[in-house]
Amino acid sequence: MPSLEERLADYVATKLPSAADVRVEGLDRIFGGASRETYRFVLHFREAGVARTRRLILRRDPPGSLIETERAIEFGAYQAFHGSAVPVPEPLWLEEDPKWLDYPFFVMEELAGLEASPQAIVLPPYAQHADAFARQMWTILGEIAKADPVSLGLVGVMQPVEPAQCWQRELEYWEARIDRDELCPQPIVRAALRWCRRSPPPPAQRVSVVHGDYRTGNYLYDDAGRIHAILDWEMAHLGDPLEDLAWGINPVWRQGDKAGGLTSRDEAIRIWEKASGLVADPAALHWWEVFSSIKGQAIWVSSAKEFSDGVNQDLILGLAAWLMGNSQDRAALHELGHLS
Amino acid sequence: MKPDLGRFLGVAASHLMTRTAPALPAGYEQSSAAALGALMIAVGEEAERAAARRVEENAALRTLFGDAAAHVERAELAGRLERAAAGSDPSLQLSDLEAANAELRALLIELHERVEALGTSEARRIDAAIWRELARSTERRKLLMGPF
Repeated sequence: MPSLEERLADYVATKLPSAADVRVEGLDRIFGGASRETYRFVLHFREAGVARTRRLILRRDPPGSLIETERAIEFGAYQAFHGSAVPVPEPLWLEEDPKWLDYPFFVMEELAGLEASPQAIVLPPYAQHADAFARQMWTILGEIAKADPVSLGLVGVMQPVEPAQCWQRELEYWEARIDRDELCPQPIVRAALRWCRRSPPPPAQRVSVVHGDYRTGNYLYDDAGRIHAILDWEMAHLGDPLEDLAWGINPVWRQGDKAGGLTSRDEAIRIWEKASGLVADPAALHWWEVFSSIKGQAIWVSSAKEFSDGVNQDLILGLAAWLMGNSQDRAALHELGHLS
Repeated sequence: MKPDLGRFLGVAASHLMTRTAPALPAGYEQSSAAALGALMIAVGEEAERAAARRVEENAALRTLFGDAAAHVERAELAGRLERAAAGSDPSLQLSDLEAANAELRALLIELHERVEALGTSEARRIDAAIWRELARSTERRKLLMGPF
């Protein structure tokens, strides 16, 4: 049985017909990929007699994951934003035929030597750049919000939605996930779901691309205070841009009293409004903040289910379920005004 | 058994995080070992209180149901609330306590939905009591490493 490196090299060779001596070395799994197995590797090949090397990332579907996502949507988001004001790695190849690596996957460039950890960003040498990171983080999100899904070519990739239906579609999707996967009753999230149905938000100001998991931890940054790439687009969809803003400022991603560990909630909103040209109506944003805790709990409930059932026993699922579930409930209580 | 469970898990976690993980090549397995250590610390924290928090919560829910039964204006639900209020935990085994807790929390969801719909002053009082109990439930489950 050929190794994963050999099989990957065989695949890449089909994508680089003018290349010779295609080899994959240093295939190394990166810890923390919740919805895809993520590997870095070095590609070696010869082209026109010249030896070439390229550092790349493999994102492969696992047997089970925190969230079931369409890798074509994630790949499409990378393609749409590559080269734009929203920095992303260059996507290279999407492969949905499992004959190559057992599961669907895609390959993109690796931006090496950068940090992604949400813990490291609040420590030296990164912490001194918190203001710069905050400015970029929320400005880039504003750029995502104001990008036109039609001209990006994403309308055919992501399901369309009417402005008035954004909230309902998302709420129904995540409620169904909780119904399916909860291992024990969830009285707080059920109360939050009822509140969301009783108090729906106004229609979205516009239908935007929603990253779906926009937070500190899902971008690459350096020690000079620059954000280089937004990652983890696996939950991207069309919807209300307030969804991403609310998710990014959710209390479970706070460090100290700072949204995303970087700045105040109000400042994050101010930066986003300026960059997006949109308004974060307080009542509408509040609805999406409550929703964020429902969505978050749905993810932790699913991770607990998959870990318990043995579908995927990657420790990140067990750890996420164990550490995040109660914090997410507390975030919901906070958003609903019931946490003293 | 000695050493205590929490102590044992803490030492094992420390070993994993400070000795085993650094000895592994940087990458997935090293991070997995460190994550396992973190998980063991959290498990140790939970083990110490696992029975106590369930017993306390089950008792609090039974008291709440006993108070609410007369005010839900629906005989079938009132009957189930009264029966639950009169119940007790079958044993101190975690699995028994957890099963009882799951039944009680499922009934809590029904009660909460009912008092929200009723809107009477008694219903509002019970609603407030439910929210206080839900907040206490998250205090009981709070982990030192939990982010919020």
